Amino acid sequence: MTNKERYQRAFSALHASGEMMEVKNMKNTKKHYVRRAVAVCAAAALAVALAGVAYAADVGGIRRTVQVWIHGDQTDAVLDIQGGEYTLTYEDSQGQPRSQGGGGLAIEQDGSVRDLTEEEIVEHLDSPDVVYGEDGSVTVWWRGKGLDITDKFENGVCYVQIKDGGETKYVTVKLHNGYAWSDAAYVSPDRFNF
Amino acid sequence: MRLSATEAYEKYADRVFAAAFAVCRDRADADDVTQDTFTRYIARDQQYESEEHIKAWLLRVAVNRARDLTRAFWRKNRAPWEDHVAELAFEEPADSRLFAAVMSLPERYRTAIHLFYYEDWTIAQIASALHAREGTVKSWLSRGRKLLKNILMEEWDDDE
Repeated sequence: MTNKERYQRAFSALHASGEMMEVKNMKNTKKHYVRRAVAVCAAAALAVALAGVAYAADVGGIRRTVQVWIHGDQTDAVLDIQGGEYTLTYEDSQGQPRSQGGGGLAIEQDGSVRDLTEEEIVEHLDSPDVVYGEDGSVTVWWRGKGLDITDKFENGVCYVQIKDGGETKYVTVKLHNGYAWSDAAYVSPDRFNF
Repeated sequence: MRLSATEAYEKYADRVFAAAFAVCRDRADADDVTQDTFTRYIARDQQYESEEHIKAWLLRVAVNRARDLTRAFWRKNRAPWEDHVAELAFEEPADSRLFAAVMSLPERYRTAIHLFYYEDWTIAQIASALHAREGTVKSWLSRGRKLLKNILMEEWDDDE
């Protein structure tokens, strides 16, 4: 067996997750956002967060303090942004340091692709979130509201309308494969994570 | 010609993921790079010369996106790559050792090694994709092979 054959056999063990992109706001703005859930080492991330504004500035990033909703609790968080990617660092309701990251791309109407802007990332942080629990539960969170939709799925899809003040979000949730939302109408399940 | 996004994803997602993983050594990042790459493919409403051209374009985008990601400052806190290796189903124990040896190489070496041995790219193709000179790529490959030989010994042949 040659080195090439050995190499190809070894690396054929790698497979993509099988989940395709989450598409948001498609009907309104023609922009697609790719969302990311990052498992960041919380303690180390907090240390980075506390290292000072100069750190982010040194690498061309942006740092600011924001208020965000984390699963129904409003909290202060440090938001670092660089090249369309963000890290959000905060303390949870038990006072434990937490960190999450994300980012992605925006596609303009002419088809050009660019990094997300700071404003788009902040807007994204204010968008509905779906939590798939280890016990099989599925909960939609938006700002201070949480809806348990575990038993509401039909043919693997659940459509959720969630309101806050004068705003309404239409969330399409797949039982095992992510979600998409829009301000105007439900995103068809075949338009995301195909 | 052009493949639909679904066709392209079904055919090349694993290769794109493998290339991304070879660079960034992190499952979540490699999945993100895969998504980013296919998002760019969807957005780029362009015809290609062949399926090979599509594959080359996807791999080129993925490798460079992964390299960008490895330089992101927040990424210093990611889970170690060993965590993911333990989850992989290798055919033979030697495959696991080879995989781990490649992962232990410096980023430039393992990227060049991956494109050469897994994608069967020429030195010229690798140089073009990585924006490097051919002599530099040759050097990366040579040093990478030497390190692999030191680690794997008889499980890695002397070759060019």
